Amino acid sequence: MQGRGYEMLHHAATNMVDVAVVGAGQTKYGNHPSGLKGMWAEAASRAFASIDGDFSPASIDEAFIGSIAFGGSQLGNTAALLTEHSAMDNIPVRRVENACASSGFAFRDAWMAIKSGQADVVVAGGIEKMNDLTAERKRYWLGVSGDTEWERLAGLTFPGTYALMARRYFHEFDSTHDDLVNVSVKNHFHGAKNPLAHIRKEVSFEKAAGGFMVADPLTLYDCCPTSDGASCVVLAADHVARQFTDTPIWVKGAGAASDHLALHDRPSITQLKATQQAAERAYRMAGIEARDIDLAEVHDCFTIAEVLATEDLGFAGRGEGGRFAREGSGVLNQGRTTINPSGGLKSKGHPLGATGTGQVVEVFKQLRGEVESERQVRDATNALTHNVGGSGATCAVHVFGRER
Amino acid sequence: MMSAEVWMGYLVDHAEDYTVVQSPFTMNGVRVFGADSDATTLAVAGVLHRLQHETVDKIGIPDGIDANTVTLATSAHQHEEEATEPLWDLLLSDEATVVLARQGATVELPVLDVEIEVDPDFHGAIQVAWEEELHEAHVSQGAYISRSQYEEAASSRLSLQGQQSGSAIVWPPRFSDTVHGETNDTHVLKPTGTVQSWTTLSAAGAPSEFSLRAPLLGGISTVFLQLDEGPYGVFLTVDDEDTPLSMDLAMELVLRRIYAQEGFIRYGLKARAIQD
Repeated sequence: MQGRGYEMLHHAATNMVDVAVVGAGQTKYGNHPSGLKGMWAEAASRAFASIDGDFSPASIDEAFIGSIAFGGSQLGNTAALLTEHSAMDNIPVRRVENACASSGFAFRDAWMAIKSGQADVVVAGGIEKMNDLTAERKRYWLGVSGDTEWERLAGLTFPGTYALMARRYFHEFDSTHDDLVNVSVKNHFHGAKNPLAHIRKEVSFEKAAGGFMVADPLTLYDCCPTSDGASCVVLAADHVARQFTDTPIWVKGAGAASDHLALHDRPSITQLKATQQAAERAYRMAGIEARDIDLAEVHDCFTIAEVLATEDLGFAGRGEGGRFAREGSGVLNQGRTTINPSGGLKSKGHPLGATGTGQVVEVFKQLRGEVESERQVRDATNALTHNVGGSGATCAVHVFGRER
Repeated sequence: MMSAEVWMGYLVDHAEDYTVVQSPFTMNGVRVFGADSDATTLAVAGVLHRLQHETVDKIGIPDGIDANTVTLATSAHQHEEEATEPLWDLLLSDEATVVLARQGATVELPVLDVEIEVDPDFHGAIQVAWEEELHEAHVSQGAYISRSQYEEAASSRLSLQGQQSGSAIVWPPRFSDTVHGETNDTHVLKPTGTVQSWTTLSAAGAPSEFSLRAPLLGGISTVFLQLDEGPYGVFLTVDDEDTPLSMDLAMELVLRRIYAQEGFIRYGLKARAIQD
């Protein structure tokens, strides 16, 4: 059931200022040579450079930056540490933490700040430094966003959690691991064309099917890499957006939800209720349906997550996500909706806190026709981002369009 | 030799005044603990076996058995009054054997007929790994579950203590439950269920708190169970049995070691196939 606050927000959102993304940029994902400050400065400068109109960082009223604080050795005051390296001085800033959905929620907070009338120009971003840690220290983080008291004592990290979901999905529906392999092959196919992707190479079905077993039935090719990266987007109110660009990308719908952290507290482990609720709210606000979405950046931290997301977001019916993958429905310009044209978390990479706004960077460029021609979604009008925290405890969905 | 009853993965000899619990594993003719067992896990199995037949309370518990874990897992309390004698004593033997005996009873250790020979190299490596984990200074890079956090829900984790609201059973217990409403009545669930899903994490994919033992065990397996009374839970499988997992496999939950750090063993329920 939706809370009354959501109804009020929905009412306000449909009667208040419109919000646009006017600039967006990110670092290349992967093993980045810089630390936190350098990565953020690079992402912010790219975002600012993408704004072709009259813009200076002094225009920014507020900033929200998502991060789990995986590496980089800066747990406190992360946002202030970063923004001073992108000429964003003396404005209110804060770090937003919602596991892997941190910057999806930072984006939501930025959108709400403008909706509320308290700000006209707001930055949302995200950052994670993951590859400066030893393998042992990395494993500390891969599962801390579950219900650790129960799930870690049951030996689970997220590969294990999603493996449980995958095996159950195969049992309940007409699906096998081959369907997950198709997701992996597709996303590597897309990511190979993305110069900012972490893993820029295609993989064959045979190679992806025979990968090293990480958490049965999930192999290495079902799991996203651990990536360094930062992303930054600039949002503006409708009455100032046109001074920054002639081609703003409008935020047409915003939805978010939460759910039990632990799998064992959920009635079903083959669907993410938080995704379903967030999507329903975003579609309703945007006044469109799943079939109107031309491209979607979905949270494929594991290949099974993309299969579930295609169902929960309405691109495939319940139990048909496996077939959707098998038939190549999400491949670039092959079906109604292209899924993860950036390569997704699987190939583009997953610098946890940066992923949500990194998805917005892709959507912004796709809708403006600015990505490399070989991976441009044709005639893209509406797009969606889907950012999940943990194994589905939090989710932020945003719908974007070229038209208001 | 006597035919042994297998109970929670251990051998049990039940007599009128005592219950003997032995590890089924032997090495060079001597009984040894399994990979995730110790005197505490055997003691809990012994008390739970006895509780099928009669009330057990006020137990004298020697050093070497974690009294807090025995209490949390069985509801039987350690005897602490100096002026009176406990009604029951837990006794330790050198050979992976624990006895729960009525005060003053004469115990005759049985010679049981089940002996599973373990590989000495494997056994030695596991013991060394546990010793390293148990060192005061050992803190893995795994998720840190403090003693306080471990103990807050230990009764739910070690004895499946849940809540009842009308006909609904809620486990793990919740401080607030908008679905089932008020859930103040305590209900202890039966420790049995069926497999709804499972996974085996490779040693490289296992949480780092298991990094010393997972390579020796060939990875660790976790099952997603639906308990027979309805609720779901995730549990490791026992380390010393290698039963193939499958959907709807019937399993029981038994107390075993999970992992240790800072000199403190985290115990928990693990799943084993019902096959005895």
